[in-house]
Amino acid sequence: MTTSSSDRCTRISPSAVLDDRLDGKDLEWARDHLRRCEACRERVEDFREMLLRVGRLPKATLGATAMDEAYTMSVPERLREEAGIRGYDISSADSGRLVPPMGSLPSAIHPEVTSIPDLMSELEREIFRDEAVPGHPSTLAAIPEPIYPTMAPPEEPAAAAPPTDEAVAEPDTPDLREVPLDSHREPVPAPAPAPAPAQASPEETDWTRLLETIATAPEVEEEPRTMAPMPISAAPQPPPAAASSSFDPPSPVEASVMAEPLIQHESWMAPEPEPVPARVPKRSNADNILRLAVGFGAAACVLLAAVLYEGGHLLNAHPVASASASASVRASVKASATVHPSAKTTVVPSASQPPATVLYVLGNGVSGNTVFRIRPGTAIAGYTRLVFDMHGAGLPSMVITQIDATHLQVIFKKTTVGTVPVSGIRSYQVAAVEPGVQSGPDGSFVIDLNRAVRVTAFTLPASGGYPWRLVIDLHA
Amino acid sequence: MDQVHAEAPPATALAASVEREFYSDFPLILNYVARLIDDIDGAASITCAAFRQVTEALRQREGAGGLRRTDVFRAATELSRQSLRPKRWFRRRQRDHVELDGFPEQEARRTLRRDTVQRAVGALSFEARVMVLLRDFAKLSYDEISEIVDIPPKKLVHALDRSRTELAEIYDYIKF
Repeated sequence: MTTSSSDRCTRISPSAVLDDRLDGKDLEWARDHLRRCEACRERVEDFREMLLRVGRLPKATLGATAMDEAYTMSVPERLREEAGIRGYDISSADSGRLVPPMGSLPSAIHPEVTSIPDLMSELEREIFRDEAVPGHPSTLAAIPEPIYPTMAPPEEPAAAAPPTDEAVAEPDTPDLREVPLDSHREPVPAPAPAPAPAQASPEETDWTRLLETIATAPEVEEEPRTMAPMPISAAPQPPPAAASSSFDPPSPVEASVMAEPLIQHESWMAPEPEPVPARVPKRSNADNILRLAVGFGAAACVLLAAVLYEGGHLLNAHPVASASASASVRASVKASATVHPSAKTTVVPSASQPPATVLYVLGNGVSGNTVFRIRPGTAIAGYTRLVFDMHGAGLPSMVITQIDATHLQVIFKKTTVGTVPVSGIRSYQVAAVEPGVQSGPDGSFVIDLNRAVRVTAFTLPASGGYPWRLVIDLHA
Repeated sequence: MDQVHAEAPPATALAASVEREFYSDFPLILNYVARLIDDIDGAASITCAAFRQVTEALRQREGAGGLRRTDVFRAATELSRQSLRPKRWFRRRQRDHVELDGFPEQEARRTLRRDTVQRAVGALSFEARVMVLLRDFAKLSYDEISEIVDIPPKKLVHALDRSRTELAEIYDYIKF
């Protein structure tokens, strides 16, 4: 299996070798030839690599639903109906992930809820524990109560009672009367004063006893204690007589039931917090200041990072801005202008223009190189890669400068650049690459940009058949 | 798995063959078309149309053995060629766009766009692309490929050689 030969031996067909299309004498001859011919061996290896690359191209996957949709769209209905009588099973790729039928699922486990710590509630409590307004739902109560969480804590009836007294008996705060405090709750049916509040112990405040208390209470002719919004008035209004009479003296149970929202509101509005420690933990001023300081510090860090990023200070890894480098760049640019005045398209910064910014200084200072090719590599909307191939013993000194927003100059020190073809190099970022300009020992290229870009550059040594390279990436 | 009743009537056997081959080959042919036309969004409609075309032909042809994937590959290749062919504006006919659930994923679309090998494949001529993809991507045999592209297997080696050489040259050029 041979092909025509030119300057390089091509007597072996790599496809025939790789795809096992040879046999008998042809195979023997090919093996023998490959043993002796390095060029053919390299070709076969190159083909094998390419074959593997194509074979490893990723394949997009389809879910079971997409397959079914495609099947519905691709196969006529009659055939689909006939195929409904199956003698085999079709296992789609996702069948292993399908949920098993309900019958085969194990029964649900119902753990004892109270035995499991409510992590979310604890987290919420941690977050909101410093809130001055305990407006969070009852799950934030510090002491979870087994029967009715919105009730006052049974352990502290004595602690809950005094705020109730103050809340009801303190009429000189008009704000308390202007807001429908418990509009989010169902109105409590008018309870009567407890008949025997004196001997009510903290243990008697459970729901059953409360119901009994309410059921056995005598009917009292009074206004229902729904917290209707009161008209706003400048003068403090005295409390209704009936209310004051019914709450004087209030029972602990009743007080806790009736006046809990007031307690909360009082605790917010009053200058001194009411003694409801379980619901409203105090926050120290030092704590507040510390949190504010940390918050401002974090915001300042983010702002600083954003400013640095926008300014490009974080991304330019090797911004060389030394005076000597910029001076040499300026000198070389001016020299090119004097030596080659006919290069009309070359942008030459005059004395009035701001000096070019040196972006990168690369290379090892090797002299006598020749740039023989510019390869436009990856050219997508994201970035364009330009590869400068060089013959020589190493990397020359290379300076990449930004002349202005739309012009880059690449200077190769002690390098010949004259005969590099540059036509047709254009992309989303690159308008053109101007022909190389030789100014004495140095050569330079000017890259005309379509838009402002961010430049990254690096060098590659000669390896694997490739020469020394300068790679410039122009990111939009 | 894959147990077909021997006593099934011909129509049912055909339907079973269609269903089995569809679920077996649709993803591969879909990916082949996506690589061939370099457009993963339009690949689903072409692949579905190819399957529809082949199954319709099977129904009209009595005594057909069943769905053969080379037929579907052939139809898909031809439809892909037509979709890439420049059209005169008065003959322009938009193919029905097929939306499949969750396909393509964003990542797959991005991968197809950025893959250097895919860009090299896309730079090949259509015939060379078909050769390379059928052999190296879909991993079909020479006999199957020769049936799809209508080239004798003996000549296929040279055609593949040329296509792969061209691909390697393009890849070497753009791989940076």
